[in-house]
Amino acid sequence: MEALGINLGYLLIQIIAFIVIYVLLTRFVYDPLIAVLRDRRTRIQRGLEDAEKAANARMNAEAEAEKVLQQARNEAQGIVDEARGRGEEVAQQVQQDARSEAETIRNDARLAAQAERDAQLAGLRGQVAAISIAVAQQLIGASLDEARQQALINDFFAKVPDSARTLSGDVTVVSAMPLDDAEQQKVQEEIGADSVAFEVDPSILGGLIVRSADQVVDGSVRSGLGEMSQRLG
Amino acid sequence: MTLNWSGKRRWIALVLVLASFVVMFNWPPVVPVIQLPGEIYPAGEVFGLPITNTFVGSIVVWIVILLLIRVVSGRRPRDGGEVPRGGFYNFFEMAFEGLYGFIGSIAPERYLGPIFKMFMTIFILVLLSNWLHLIPGIDSIGFLHPHVHKVEGHYELLDGFDLATLGGVHYLNGQCAWVSPEAAATMSDEALQARADAGCLSGIPAADAADAADEAAGDDHGEEIDYHHVEPGDPAVPWVILPYVRVPSTDLNMTLAFALIAVVMIQVMGFRALGIGYLTKFFNFSTLFKSPLGGIDVAVGLLELIGEMAKILSFAFRLLGSMFAGSILLFVISFLLPVIAPWPVFLLEFFVGLIQAIVFGLLTAIFMSLATVSHHHDEEHHEEAAAGAH
Amino acid sequence: MEEAVLVAGKAIGAGLAMIGALGGGIGIGLSVGGAVQGMARNPDHTGTIQTNMILGVAFAEAVAIYALVVSLIILFVLS
Repeated sequence: MEALGINLGYLLIQIIAFIVIYVLLTRFVYDPLIAVLRDRRTRIQRGLEDAEKAANARMNAEAEAEKVLQQARNEAQGIVDEARGRGEEVAQQVQQDARSEAETIRNDARLAAQAERDAQLAGLRGQVAAISIAVAQQLIGASLDEARQQALINDFFAKVPDSARTLSGDVTVVSAMPLDDAEQQKVQEEIGADSVAFEVDPSILGGLIVRSADQVVDGSVRSGLGEMSQRLG
Repeated sequence: MTLNWSGKRRWIALVLVLASFVVMFNWPPVVPVIQLPGEIYPAGEVFGLPITNTFVGSIVVWIVILLLIRVVSGRRPRDGGEVPRGGFYNFFEMAFEGLYGFIGSIAPERYLGPIFKMFMTIFILVLLSNWLHLIPGIDSIGFLHPHVHKVEGHYELLDGFDLATLGGVHYLNGQCAWVSPEAAATMSDEALQARADAGCLSGIPAADAADAADEAAGDDHGEEIDYHHVEPGDPAVPWVILPYVRVPSTDLNMTLAFALIAVVMIQVMGFRALGIGYLTKFFNFSTLFKSPLGGIDVAVGLLELIGEMAKILSFAFRLLGSMFAGSILLFVISFLLPVIAPWPVFLLEFFVGLIQAIVFGLLTAIFMSLATVSHHHDEEHHEEAAAGAH
Repeated sequence: MEEAVLVAGKAIGAGLAMIGALGGGIGIGLSVGGAVQGMARNPDHTGTIQTNMILGVAFAEAVAIYALVVSLIILFVLS
């Protein structure tokens, strides 16, 4: 033992020193450092979990955003559809309005044209009367006095058929030439109906056609001529 | 810290290499006296213990460990922050974490704490002890000591060297091995002339030596010189160097103490994990009368007990042997070719010191881990333990 | 003369004791060779293999170191 240098005192000192160093290192190095390492490990773990959570949250948010976007898109589509519908409606409305306006304009134009024609026809009437009187004078060689001739012609144009006097309600009177106000007055009085509308149709040649709601009295020259030709034929 | 070998530094290194060649030829190195026990300081005893230079080495290691504790606990993050804390702390923490994980892969989770602390303490202590002999000056600077051996009341002079002086500092003159006047009388003239040319002081032929001895020892010529209190440089005695500090792991006291601690802690861990049942590992009588092989189990248990004893010697002598041999290797290589040859040997010793420290700690950790496992249910571990005991 | 015989005996004894290092050398060579083969075949487990190799090398080396200790004791402790 002596030759190997083993000395009990040094052996004990080494053992005691080892224990002291063990305690010191444990107290000041191992425990704190192990705590630091554990702390770091848990922090890294937590960081990873947080990152995962964040990734999930982001994915959820993306899904949510997608949903919101879809919703918005649907809504926009709805709005567009609605707008289109309303536009169509409006267009239809406009079209209708335009159509009705056109109708009105057309009616007005027709009425105006009718009035124009009537006015021209009224202008023609005098000439026709004069021509017919002249033609009649030539034919019969006898001249009628002007007043009688005029009355005859007026009668030709504004003679109310007898059967028309029984009519009532709304009555339409069709004449070949426009009747002047006095004549209209007279016709109305003769028929005795509540309201009388006057129309002009040169194709009836003369006389009057009186139309009520349920009855037509045809006192026109055209029908008289037609009847005559039937009888002759 | 990065070493930059460009520019000035390599010239400094080159100059140092050349200087060491000059030193080698003018002041050749000396093979120190090799002895296993720590060299005893001449200063005397403290509390009845002679101070040995290996013990001084231990004190150096303890101081370094205290500094380590100071640095690490001073730099360690306290606020839970992860800010880098400086090079050494980060390096230490990295090594610490790596070793913690390493032991974690060996030791059972439940006893990881104590096993790791045991491993780490042994590792740090042994590593610093082992690396001590890489420091220049350790093992080579020391007391000049007359190399005498007291046998049966009178001094016997052993091998040594002459002393020389350079700037008031005495050193061993490697060119002049000490010879006694009697031996010098038998030497050839050429050899004596060579010694005189080298400036050797000892080995003056007997006729002159008598006068010199008269002067040195005063008028009492026949009396023994008190060799423990001679003047430094006295050519009448052979001188050797007694290093101030020697590597503590070349002293059996340290390695044996660590081996005892390790083996005791292995048993403590066994009792802690298995309770009193741990003893059945050694005294296994449970199958004695039940099985035809019961007797073998008893014998195996007793062998385990012897194995535990063998572990003490195994631990102690493995470390002692490798480090003592390493020290001798460094001496001898430095003596044979002082400049280039020792460099790879120093590198080798660096790794040997590291590996021995790891092995000492790791074996302790492994044996402690094995001690926590119940003996009966784990034949595989048993075999490993038996293999480890060698 | 007697001293010279003693020194010679010590030197011979120390040299003979170092024959034990042979076993350690063979063991280290075998274990490192096996480990290198293992690492070459299975580079993923280099770390584990290296650890076990160092452990095995340490055990094998221990035998050589015992021989060395015996030889050192013969040389420097026996007087």
